[in-house]
Amino acid sequence: MGLRKRSAVLAASAAAAALAITGCSSSGSSSSSATGGSSSSASTSAAPSTLTVWRMGASVPEQVTWMNGVVDQFHTQFPQFAKTQVKVVWVPWGNRTQDWNNALSSGKNIPDITELGNTDTPTEAASGILASLTSNLKSWSGASDLVKGMVDNDTLNGETYAVPWFGGVRAVWYRTDQFKAAGITSTPTTWAELAADAQKLQAKFPGTYGFPAVTNDTNAFASFIWGAGGQIATQGSDGKWTASLTDPKTEAAIKYYVSLHTTFKVSPSKYIGQTELGNTGATSGGANEDFGLGKLDMYIDGPWGKATMPKNSVDMANVSSFPIPSQNGPDAAPVFAGGSDLAVFKTSPNQEAAWDLIQVMDNPTNSTSFAKLAGFFPPYSSAISNGVYPGDQFMAGFAKAALNGQTAPLNAKNWATADNGQYLIIPTMLKKLMNGASFDSTVAAANTQLANVLNTGNQG
Amino acid sequence: MVKTESRRPGNSSPAGAVTGRTRGRRPPSSGPRPTGLTARQRAAIWVRRHHLAPYLLLIPATAVIAWLILWPAAQIGLFSFQNYGLMQIIGAQPTQWIGLGNYSQILHDPEFWLSLRITVLFSLVVVPLTLTVGTLVGLLLARLGRKMATFVSTSALLAWGTPAVSASVIFAWLTDPDGGIVDWSLSKLPSWLGGGPHWAEFSWQNSALPAYTVLTVLLVWMGFPFIAVTVLAGLRTIPAELHEAARIDGAGPWRSFWTVTFPLLRPVFMVLLMLSIIWDFGVFTQAFVITAAPGNRDEFNLGLYEYFKAFTQPPAYGMASAIAFILTLILLIITVGYVRASVKQGEVR
Repeated sequence: MGLRKRSAVLAASAAAAALAITGCSSSGSSSSSATGGSSSSASTSAAPSTLTVWRMGASVPEQVTWMNGVVDQFHTQFPQFAKTQVKVVWVPWGNRTQDWNNALSSGKNIPDITELGNTDTPTEAASGILASLTSNLKSWSGASDLVKGMVDNDTLNGETYAVPWFGGVRAVWYRTDQFKAAGITSTPTTWAELAADAQKLQAKFPGTYGFPAVTNDTNAFASFIWGAGGQIATQGSDGKWTASLTDPKTEAAIKYYVSLHTTFKVSPSKYIGQTELGNTGATSGGANEDFGLGKLDMYIDGPWGKATMPKNSVDMANVSSFPIPSQNGPDAAPVFAGGSDLAVFKTSPNQEAAWDLIQVMDNPTNSTSFAKLAGFFPPYSSAISNGVYPGDQFMAGFAKAALNGQTAPLNAKNWATADNGQYLIIPTMLKKLMNGASFDSTVAAANTQLANVLNTGNQG
Repeated sequence: MVKTESRRPGNSSPAGAVTGRTRGRRPPSSGPRPTGLTARQRAAIWVRRHHLAPYLLLIPATAVIAWLILWPAAQIGLFSFQNYGLMQIIGAQPTQWIGLGNYSQILHDPEFWLSLRITVLFSLVVVPLTLTVGTLVGLLLARLGRKMATFVSTSALLAWGTPAVSASVIFAWLTDPDGGIVDWSLSKLPSWLGGGPHWAEFSWQNSALPAYTVLTVLLVWMGFPFIAVTVLAGLRTIPAELHEAARIDGAGPWRSFWTVTFPLLRPVFMVLLMLSIIWDFGVFTQAFVITAAPGNRDEFNLGLYEYFKAFTQPPAYGMASAIAFILTLILLIITVGYVRASVKQGEVR
């Protein structure tokens, strides 16, 4: 064993040396990666036959093409892995934690690389299933330009467990032709205007609904809380979380959101218990599809929502976006700074190959081309400050919203448990309220539960 | 059941039957011969002397059951007293014995009590409904002519044979708020029939009552054929003279059912009742699809509650094992109650 290991190291470092010599001129990143790789190759075999990558979301043609291009680059930049087949598995967002856990506990089909939502990374890093990438990052040329806040989100006790891949924000989608026909001249900047415009549109276009109050999409609902000056939960200097759902400002946001269904009647009961894509784990049948089919006049989503719109959607040339309004305007509500990271599973026997593929996927050129494909923002400061989407009408609202991002407490260690794992605290609260439960007791119960779960991981 | 009874006087015990068969296979030269026996023959004598044959014959089946059911059940029992989760499986943290910790946490979880309530109420509705519909269809089948009976029972068994997921998805589509035929029909019905435009786009999955109404229809639809066919089989064993005598004495169908059919088929009904309770208490697949789990945690029954405790972030296999144990315990209590009642009535022999 010891001998075989040693020869593997020798082979790898020989390959690395060869690459360093021949690859100098081609690109800086590949040579630095090769040296970075050889340092960690002691624990890995030289060239795995397959490398499994879990990507989140639906497998759409543009994404598949992009991924194939990246794999080709990976094979040329890292000839030692030229025969390594890269297997991409598409995991619906709603199933991700369950699929990770099932893979780990069964020991079968464990990915080498996985994409994670940036809110997942702290939880998964703390649970110890991700490999530390700290030393790899130190020797990677791309690392220095990564947005610092995004890297911090992936760092726990000084070790970085994932690399930011893209950032994304949500905004309200609408159709310029419908706004014109309904006589709405400017996009709403307050809650009252939003509800009034939704009602106007609904009256002008019978059979449609104005604005869906989806319950299981806290990433979007958070903007209403923040837009009223409230918080979901705050962390004290001692690290203890205090839930703020019963704060009057937060309560105002909850009341408004529920009233979209109960009072303004611009959201049908169908969206209660659904995510913006439909039932949990499904990728169709929800507000996203309904907006595409013209059954909804507005809805909240990121620009990536375009990819899952049905084929027979309304003319996307008329689709535009505005930032989620705050309670009293005129400034937009802060928006959840979402995004995805790339990480290597600790159990993967192919640490070196996995990291090398991540370098290709996430280098400035590829991450920018990927981001533009889906309406994301690349994780590189220089790319963002140069303006990723100049003159793009649809992206204007998102670009504006991106200036006002917030992540906490959606990146708290136990947030995934509280919001889409063992507990669906805020979704279930909204659902109960829309179904007519008494306001004070429901919100108070959710508040206690949220504080307990954020602090201890269970409701106590 | 009734058939077994009629055969009983001439029937020998299973052990007797087996030894009889073994004797038959032996060479005709009888009488104990201490010498000249092969090892095989000696073993056969030893087995016979100690009456071991029935147990030996039970070994293959017991081994399969032990491997597939008893061993997992024992493990579940073990996990239910441990903090067994993902970290323990992948070896990141040691497995710790936590006594009744899981049980006390479950009993203090409002979600457990909600799901228990839903499970019990649901079973209270579905079990009698399935039994009633199934029995009625069984009685109908007994009266129908041969061709018609074949047609009806085949159609019914198709419902029974439909895979649970397919059936659930079909029902979810029927009740879909967007163009589902149920909402459409209800919205076209006149208001004095309970219809009206408020049914258009009515969502059946986002609160417990509508979701379990759909589930009730689905489970009765899937469950009644088995009851009907079993009841029919039972009816065929009742001698025709009994019903004839009842008719001559002036008993109508109602009276005849309760004084002749039901008492004779009571053991059949008891078994069907038990099976229905077990099935409806533990229904998972259909509930998963119809309630659009896991997005609707306030609509869980015990099966869903257990499943999502085990498999959502962070996985709590120990806790889920404890729930499984509680579920088993509840069903065990019901079963024991049934067996006791049966013994008292002298039905179990």
